[in-house]
Amino acid sequence: MADRIAQLQALVQASSSLHINTEWLDYAGVVEYYPEELVMTVKAGTTIAELKKQLSKNNQSLTFYTKDDDVSIGAVYANGGQDISDSVLGVQIIDGNGEALNFGGQVMKNVAGYDVSRLLVGSKGKLAVITQISFKVLPSTYVGELSAPIKTNNNPALRVEIEQRLKSVFDPKGIFQ
Amino acid sequence: MSIVQELSRALPKGIVITGEENTRPFECDGLSVYRQKPLAVALPESIEQIKQILKICKANNTPVVTRGAGTGLAGGAMPLEKSIVLGLSKLNKVKSIDAENQLAVVEPGVRNIAISEAVAEYGLYYAPDPSSQIACTIGGNVAENSGGVHCLKYGLTVHNIESLTMLTMDGEELTLSRQDDGMGLLALMNGSEGLLGIMIEITVKLTPTPQLARVVMAAYDSVRDCANAVADIIKAGIIPAGLEMMDKFAIEAAEGFAKVGYPLDAQALLLCELDGSEAQVQAELDIVLKVLSGASTLKVSESEEERLNLWKGRKSAFPAVGRLSPDYYCMDGTIPRRHLADMLDKINELSEKYQLRVANVFHAGDGNLHPLILYDANIPGELERTEEFGTDILKLSVDMGGTITGEHGVGIEKLNAMCHQFNNKELETFHKIKQAFDPDSLLNPGKAVPELHRCAELGAMHVHHGELPHPELERF
Repeated sequence: MADRIAQLQALVQASSSLHINTEWLDYAGVVEYYPEELVMTVKAGTTIAELKKQLSKNNQSLTFYTKDDDVSIGAVYANGGQDISDSVLGVQIIDGNGEALNFGGQVMKNVAGYDVSRLLVGSKGKLAVITQISFKVLPSTYVGELSAPIKTNNNPALRVEIEQRLKSVFDPKGIFQ
Repeated sequence: MSIVQELSRALPKGIVITGEENTRPFECDGLSVYRQKPLAVALPESIEQIKQILKICKANNTPVVTRGAGTGLAGGAMPLEKSIVLGLSKLNKVKSIDAENQLAVVEPGVRNIAISEAVAEYGLYYAPDPSSQIACTIGGNVAENSGGVHCLKYGLTVHNIESLTMLTMDGEELTLSRQDDGMGLLALMNGSEGLLGIMIEITVKLTPTPQLARVVMAAYDSVRDCANAVADIIKAGIIPAGLEMMDKFAIEAAEGFAKVGYPLDAQALLLCELDGSEAQVQAELDIVLKVLSGASTLKVSESEEERLNLWKGRKSAFPAVGRLSPDYYCMDGTIPRRHLADMLDKINELSEKYQLRVANVFHAGDGNLHPLILYDANIPGELERTEEFGTDILKLSVDMGGTITGEHGVGIEKLNAMCHQFNNKELETFHKIKQAFDPDSLLNPGKAVPELHRCAELGAMHVHHGELPHPELERF
């Protein structure tokens, strides 16, 4: 399965246009989970149902809202929202050049480099292939009722321009649709 | 006309500070081993003045180093040789408080503690509490994504910022909010170390002041037992408001300084704070006391006075260590909690190797380590040895799956260590992100992200000394 990353890199390098989704990604499973660290590292195609199953064995819960347990963590991440942004600690990605890159990590406090793992939250799959995500979890007693994130979409011209420039940082050839 | 003349002419008297003597207080931040005088310091009193300053700097292609209170520990606010320092300390007003929605709109130069003071009458406070909170500014906190002792339960700065308005180098305003659909630009600004934009207004989230807080002090005869107790508390399903650990040397230093009653025969000390309603605190306390039953000394604060007293030792650990040595160097690596005991063993081995004493003070709950290396800058070579020792600790942090900096930032101090944590492609991505915001590279250039040639030279040097034992590591 480790070779799947190499396969995905080759796929990205050979493509001129790609639409990322869970089936295409075909990369699922929990990579590391130490309950006492309150951190879970998973492949991006892992379903929310699977995460909840693993967590409930240790009386722990996700700290972000999910509407549907059948979707993958990668999809929730790409769709974005305040609560998942708050949970994310690190990502592994494949950028538009096919490079596999690591940002953030598995620790709660980390200010080395720009916070790319939170920048890509809500990027809708248009910047990079997200292959692996590390996020914070909590004992269930500390997680209150979760509700869908509120999102507003009144983007000023400058924001649109900066987002376009960031798109070309990660995906210079514009292959991610 | 020089840029300094141009600035002085364009702005009212007292805004632009020039000359050797007057700019000296700004030549460094909290990392005082590195110093550099800027061309001038500008202390604007309005957003309009900031825009004027930026316009003149841009026209002269002159870098701008934004500064809050200058309490940073990594040289992030140290001036560059031909730069203008943009100090925002005069923009220090709490503009509005929305108690119902638990929000406050503040200017960037407001001190961290001043926010909590301003909202105290509503039973609220601003949760992130870096140890410099009486002096440091909220703008600086955002720039560094500052932490503190209560992050484990209440989050870092990034978790407590609702929205902010920033200026680009072109003087254009952009407001970013947690509710924006699209990329996480607000999160990106947190910890961007003054390289992407200038924060001019910040809306912070406020937290209800807990009804009660109590602290448990547990002393251990073995460092490993103490480190294991940290993991056991979390395993038991408790998230303490604060969970701090000190080693023997730090205990001795703190006790000698603050006289708070820490047991001097202990090898390690744990402070575990629980807060919430009386019932919550009692319920958590029952569990924590059971988990910590193996401690050689166990004490619970019975009054607010006693609680503050037990914290006083921990909070004065840095000045206490400062009393024992002419200089000390504070590290900031973070590691997964399960490696705490191993890390302490390794640090002690390195202490022997470099013949330098170390006091260890940890935010143990989130694995954030602050080893304080004691040295004397007047002894030739000792600073260099200290820095090598520090670099070894940071490399270990990365190798254990952690990071070189948990809350202090990279600044100028940890540029070399960045080469160990990130490969060239990742560093290149960082440089391009900066270009997306600041194409002329005028905002605090050269800080936070090392140039690739710097890493290449460092790599070459390490090979030369035959010490490049770390292959490119998987960090997950």
